[in-house]
Amino acid sequence: MTAAVLSDTRDFSRSTETRHVWQQTIAMSRRSVLAIVRQPALVIPSLVFPLFFAALGSSSFSKATQLPGFPKVDSFLALTLAASVLQGVLFGSVNGGAALAVDIETGFFDRLLASPTSRISILVGRLAGSAMFGAAQALFFTFVMIAFGVNVRAGVGGVIVIAIAGGLIGMSIGGFMAAMALRTGSAEAVQGIFPLLFVSMFFSSAFFPRETMQGVYRSIANWNPMSHLYEGMRDLVISGWSVGAVAKALLIPVAIGFISIPLALMALRRRLRAV
Amino acid sequence: MTASILSTAPATRTSNVRAAKGLMLRGLHAIVRLPSAFFPAILMPIFQSIAFSGTFFAITKVPGFPTDRSINWFMPLGVLMGSAFSGVGLGFSLIRDLETGFFDRLRMSPSPRNSLILGPMFTAWFRTLIVVTVVMGVGFMLGAKLSGGVLGVLVLFLAAMGIATIATGWGLGLAYIFKDMRGAAIMQLGLFMSMFLSTAQAPLNVMTGWLHTVASINPITNILRMARQGFLNRTVNGVTVGGTVTWANTWPGLLAMIVLSSLMLFFARRGLNRLDK
Repeated sequence: MTAAVLSDTRDFSRSTETRHVWQQTIAMSRRSVLAIVRQPALVIPSLVFPLFFAALGSSSFSKATQLPGFPKVDSFLALTLAASVLQGVLFGSVNGGAALAVDIETGFFDRLLASPTSRISILVGRLAGSAMFGAAQALFFTFVMIAFGVNVRAGVGGVIVIAIAGGLIGMSIGGFMAAMALRTGSAEAVQGIFPLLFVSMFFSSAFFPRETMQGVYRSIANWNPMSHLYEGMRDLVISGWSVGAVAKALLIPVAIGFISIPLALMALRRRLRAV
Repeated sequence: MTASILSTAPATRTSNVRAAKGLMLRGLHAIVRLPSAFFPAILMPIFQSIAFSGTFFAITKVPGFPTDRSINWFMPLGVLMGSAFSGVGLGFSLIRDLETGFFDRLRMSPSPRNSLILGPMFTAWFRTLIVVTVVMGVGFMLGAKLSGGVLGVLVLFLAAMGIATIATGWGLGLAYIFKDMRGAAIMQLGLFMSMFLSTAQAPLNVMTGWLHTVASINPITNILRMARQGFLNRTVNGVTVGGTVTWANTWPGLLAMIVLSSLMLFFARRGLNRLDK
């Protein structure tokens, strides 16, 4: 009887604990999203800059679409949709990581640790916020481009996959940013990673197809996962639905997440040990 | 009275130059003491030259593109971007001086007001010389081909100095108005927009749509044309064709530089006057 009561109590407390972790994670995610929405100065550049580059590119390079090696497209803008998503989400994830570092700098992170908050929810909440913002950015860019005449050949399903991919990229790159924030506790250090991400984008096929590149540059672009991720999303826009395109768009960010999220968890554990 | 004014005029000019020289040396010392503030002005144009010429290599295959080497097109752009950021970086330094109170001490000193603008401008010129030399060197290593000879290099240096002057005036003017780091974002954004809304990425005959209209009236287009002219060559049957420096490609750039520099330095001086009030 006593054993049964004890086991029931244990089950009850475990389920209560799990429920609390979920509630806390949802609350932390909500806080993370609100923190982004309430700071338009952070959000606007991540939306405006990719669109500015897309507009510049479509005016500067539209004649290049006739060259050999370029995929058949109605307009250069169709090629830039996926690049805009990638660029915007990278900007956004840096901001998410920087916000976590600001929490550490201002002492809010310590106050969270002093409260009976689940440790994991602090990180998962932040990553979920980045994922939601990434998906919202992807939808924003897709709708703006559709308004300017881009036809997403994979239809509504394609738009949904692009939005999910945006969310997954936000989460996986957000993992690197969170790891950096937790390890250094400095927003400046997190912002300092942005040039690296930008470089990785330039050394990929995000702006021009790999087929038009030469030499070492082409080899780097061939190896760069960003190229394949971009091409997955791009093919959904310009060629239509295909298993290969969906797999590239969704599985590459998942694979990146398998590296970045454990790194973030390790950084969290390290910081908790240091407190 | 007139005689006394006349007699003080050369002294004022001398003290202006002396004070500006002092401020210039301080700006140059900052390169050694705070390299993190200057290095981006060198690294960014190098990265830009490499990244743009690699990514957009195929653009040179578009009929009518003025050169067959992408580095020839993008290296001068990198040089001018670096020069612009060397100039605008002095706006950041001024913001730091305003925030720490050092600039108030400068204003209280008997240094002429113009020297507070001329000093940073001389620093920008010196920094630009370093940027142009380094970026051009990297460009040559990456295969840039100069066909305009000494004149081709000279017009590139001149254009870079002009852009640095414009950027210095813009940066100082905004720093005097905002007095804190809020001005830094506008400094960079303004420069970035004005540079990219020109023939930065493609020549006018390759562009289409709205950008063609904007770039045609953007004076930066003329400065870029002047800067690039010594590099706009093609190799036909093993012979280099084009890429000579002409007055027709130079004077619109010179005019744009003089007008924009005057306007921006006037803007900076107005900001300083307002700060004094």
